[in-house]
Amino acid sequence: MENTTQQMRKGILELCILSIISEEKEAYPTDIINRLEESEMIVVQGTLYPLLARLKSAGLLHYTWKESDAGPPRKYYYLTDDGHEFLGGLMGTWNQLSSAVQNSTKNLTANKN
Amino acid sequence: MNKVFNINLGGLPFTIDEDAYEALGSYLKTIHNHFRSSEGYEEITTDIEARLAELFQEKLGGHPIVTLKHVKSVIAIMGTPEDFGAEPIEGEAPKSSTSEGKWKLKTGKRLFRNPDEEVIGGVCSGIAAYFGIQDPLWVRLLFLLFAFTAGFAIPLYIILWAILPKAETASDRLAMRGDPVNVSNIGKIIEEELTHVSKKVSELGDELKAEFGSKKKVRRRPMGLNREKAPKIAGLISERPLPRGFLF
Repeated sequence: MENTTQQMRKGILELCILSIISEEKEAYPTDIINRLEESEMIVVQGTLYPLLARLKSAGLLHYTWKESDAGPPRKYYYLTDDGHEFLGGLMGTWNQLSSAVQNSTKNLTANKN
Repeated sequence: MNKVFNINLGGLPFTIDEDAYEALGSYLKTIHNHFRSSEGYEEITTDIEARLAELFQEKLGGHPIVTLKHVKSVIAIMGTPEDFGAEPIEGEAPKSSTSEGKWKLKTGKRLFRNPDEEVIGGVCSGIAAYFGIQDPLWVRLLFLLFAFTAGFAIPLYIILWAILPKAETASDRLAMRGDPVNVSNIGKIIEEELTHVSKKVSELGDELKAEFGSKKKVRRRPMGLNREKAPKIAGLISERPLPRGFLF
């Protein structure tokens, strides 16, 4: 059961990361972290980095180096064409899923209240 | 009075207390070990180090020295690999969910072939490590003795060679000797590995030179026992220099 929850969280987290990056066009990991923490999507910050690496090795993300005023150059991630396509598909699935979940659990939530 | 270190973390310089330095070092080692087999190993670890540096800057806020307290709070923010809820990419096993069972299994002694001290297949030195015999030579002598007296030693050796797994990872090596696997242990092994990398590379260079220098010598070598060069370079994962056995 714990594993299912974890898998679900991870899938949704990937969706969030991709959509944040797509929204920002080019995103610095720390900004992504701030956004994710705002919406309480991650508990520890280290979660982000293996996911970024996986999305990158899947060809969905890429990054460029940019100079920064404070400190060493920074990596800015952006979506590749495949990434945009993937995000589109993922959003579609998500919308379907969430309405399906809402429909199938509405009795449950209604009873609780 | 405390000793301090100057470190470069993610491209930023820090002055750090000795105890804080050790805590940070062992934390980074766990991170590196966790992602070692991952495809994005380099990316993940450099990104994490860069973020740690940023967090230190935020935490310090003008304080000149990184203390243990800073390190602890930054680690709490960043989390341990287990907290990441992410198994290494393309890793052999999802460590986060099954690590407990796996670690337990490997804390006992296990019989491996020892690739670090092999003459033929590492069977004898694996057995020596299992029984805690310091010098695998004694096991080898015993095998030789049986080979000449009873005659079953050679088939036995070949069978053991086939069925015993080679100790390939750092935790395999620890299990082979019966040391419990923990962070500082693995760290130690990896440190030892790194110290010997350059040594082994130059050794290999010498060996290759010698091989290309005299073709006769190459021909004399029994084919099946020829050492594989490429995997040796890739897997310079041994804490001791390879002994030049009598076969070579």
